[in-house]
Amino acid sequence: MTISRRDMLKTAAAAAAASALPVKLPSQQYAPKFFTASEYALVDEMSDMIIPTDEQSGGARAAGVAAFIDARLAESFEKEPPQRWRAGIKAIEALSQQTNGKTFMASTPEQRLALLTKIAAAEKDPKTDAEKFFREIKGMTIRGYYTSKIGIHDDQKYKGNVYQTGDYAGYDAT
Amino acid sequence: MTVLRIKQGQEPLADLSITYDAVVVGSGAAGGMAAHVLTAKGMKVLLLEAGKKIDINAELRSMEWPYDHPRRGDAPPGYHAINFNEYTVRTPPYGKGSAFKHVFSYVGGWGGSDYVKNILVDEKDNPYTGTHYAWVRARLLGGKTNIWGRLALRLSDYDFKGKSHDGYGEDWPISYADIQPYYDKVDRYLGISGHPENLPHLPDSIFQRPNKLTAAEARFRQSLKGMNRTLTPYRAGVTTDGVQNKYRSKCFGRGACSRRPGGCDIHAAFDSPTGLIYPAMDTGNLTLRTNATAHEVLVDPNTGKARGVSFVDSQTHKTYEAKAKVVILAASTLESARLLLLSQSRQYPNGIGNSSGHVGHNFCEHVMGPGATGLVKELVGRETTLDDGKPGNFYIPRFRNLEDKQPGFIRGYGFEGGSGFGIFPDGTWDTPGFGGAFKKSVRDHAGAFIGMGGFGEVLARYENYVDLDPAVKDRWGIPALRFHYNFADNEKKMCEDMATTAREMFEAANIEVIGVDKTILTEGWSIHELGTARMGNDPKTSVLNQFQQSHDVKNLFVVDGSSHVSASCQNPTWTIMALCWRSCDHLADEFGKGNL
Repeated sequence: MTISRRDMLKTAAAAAAASALPVKLPSQQYAPKFFTASEYALVDEMSDMIIPTDEQSGGARAAGVAAFIDARLAESFEKEPPQRWRAGIKAIEALSQQTNGKTFMASTPEQRLALLTKIAAAEKDPKTDAEKFFREIKGMTIRGYYTSKIGIHDDQKYKGNVYQTGDYAGYDAT
Repeated sequence: MTVLRIKQGQEPLADLSITYDAVVVGSGAAGGMAAHVLTAKGMKVLLLEAGKKIDINAELRSMEWPYDHPRRGDAPPGYHAINFNEYTVRTPPYGKGSAFKHVFSYVGGWGGSDYVKNILVDEKDNPYTGTHYAWVRARLLGGKTNIWGRLALRLSDYDFKGKSHDGYGEDWPISYADIQPYYDKVDRYLGISGHPENLPHLPDSIFQRPNKLTAAEARFRQSLKGMNRTLTPYRAGVTTDGVQNKYRSKCFGRGACSRRPGGCDIHAAFDSPTGLIYPAMDTGNLTLRTNATAHEVLVDPNTGKARGVSFVDSQTHKTYEAKAKVVILAASTLESARLLLLSQSRQYPNGIGNSSGHVGHNFCEHVMGPGATGLVKELVGRETTLDDGKPGNFYIPRFRNLEDKQPGFIRGYGFEGGSGFGIFPDGTWDTPGFGGAFKKSVRDHAGAFIGMGGFGEVLARYENYVDLDPAVKDRWGIPALRFHYNFADNEKKMCEDMATTAREMFEAANIEVIGVDKTILTEGWSIHELGTARMGNDPKTSVLNQFQQSHDVKNLFVVDGSSHVSASCQNPTWTIMALCWRSCDHLADEFGKGNL
């Protein structure tokens, strides 16, 4: 609708393109093409913290969001987005070491939540690399999740993209 | 590049040894209409299109789900669309020096760019220079009609007689009564959906069944009635009840055309190939030549009349001549002006048909950007409904400077808007935080937003113009167009008013205003460029007469948006086709009498 939304979609997509997405595989079985195993585990965990499973629908992990991000970064035409992601993950790990003396994944769920809460607090005006990384991963998580089968059908219960053979749905202009 | 499949077999190359009754340059709304009208009257027509004939349904894949596409609808790596910042900061040619393999106009940056990557032109091959301008071009059979926005509106005498109303500019050499029968013909032949409102400034069409409104829109419509303003279902150039045309289906409310940059693979939405060109080919009177980039109207030095068109094959780069008794330009407002200016000869040193010096001038369009986003609080948390199965949501016609007189600006603007549940939840990007609360908030709010943006008339001004760049050429060695074009005070004041009235209308309807956008988008953004070869009764100040016929060269016609005298604030496609039909009726009569 508004151009700002278009631009945001574009920004989120600017991490660039991806090869075939094996979204049908559970993310555990996905062999990352860009991320290292430990980077991938962090992205998978953090994306699922951003959009978790709830009573309505599966979360980002079930929707294969980490695989979506990995595939796009692996074939990125621009050099900068993959570098930015790698640097962002490093910044998260540094913050985790500094705060908890452990890697992000070795931290307790409470410690991970505290870290994410801290970097998310600066969402409107991120300054540090870790804070900027939150915006980055949130954007791609949104993009990957709400374009997935789980996001569209289970979570949003989207009713469109169908043939309406009788009356159109909606209200008459009266 | 993608290997393109040709659906109905490669067309045999056109016979260029014969002299056609007419050659038409361009196959969009205007060129398609010219081909339809003239072939129906028995004239032998050659239609030249600079782009390819592609298997459009394989491009559009209208019902493909995002998750069934390897990149969720995005184009492959190396494809880039120019964004607002680039248009604002950089200077054209925007594709120059880009590291990307392919560069597209901003339309290639919308969700679903993969579906238009073979439809939009590559900016690297098609440079232009001068002032900032977002020039959106499509080179393929049917041109931009393959992905147009489908809002199909009539103009009224508030537009045709604008000067008589407020003293500015020029009146058109026709009135509504002259074009009304042709609007009717277009409605009946191609199909249009809408709801009659009986407004003098936005005449009703002969409507097929309208799109329905969402709950928010139905309420908003009631509220606006109290302000003497109208919200009407999107008047779409879409056949909802069907037309007699074996190449087109009626609309089944799939909504793909509004979720994507455009396009309809069952062709319920009008496009020139299925609506006009294929039926015209069935008459046996139409010859089609694609990959034919016209670069000069040829002149008979003895008579001063046009004798044909020179074109370069866009793939082989070989040059050919197409001979015809009548030359009809329909290459789009800017490309037709470019072609006139390129056609320099001893008789016509400033370009053919340009004795007035007005070719390229009086360039106008619609200004857009300002608008508002609102939240209908009562709709938060409600169950999902089917809201996006339609070609567009709503239109609020002009209400300024009709009976009233605004202090800051003349002419008017309308709003296009939408609301309700879409395939991608509205408001997601602006929802703060993360986790369960974030997810629930996105879900609860997804269907509760309503948004609208204005489209305003840009005044036709002589000093807004295009000419040929003395140095820069396109991929085929044809001089590029150079822009000298800027919005001025009237547009800026009008845009301030758009933002104000958008807010005021939402507030009156008890819709919570969550954002007001005041940014004016780059010149060109509306893709409604008009006016570069305007009609008029005075050959000194206009290029064409009321039948879109050159004042200087009687067998030369320019039947696209370049002929429009003013932009109105109503979308131009339906007017382009109605005017073209009227002119071609006249042309065929004159041709039959031997007057051309």
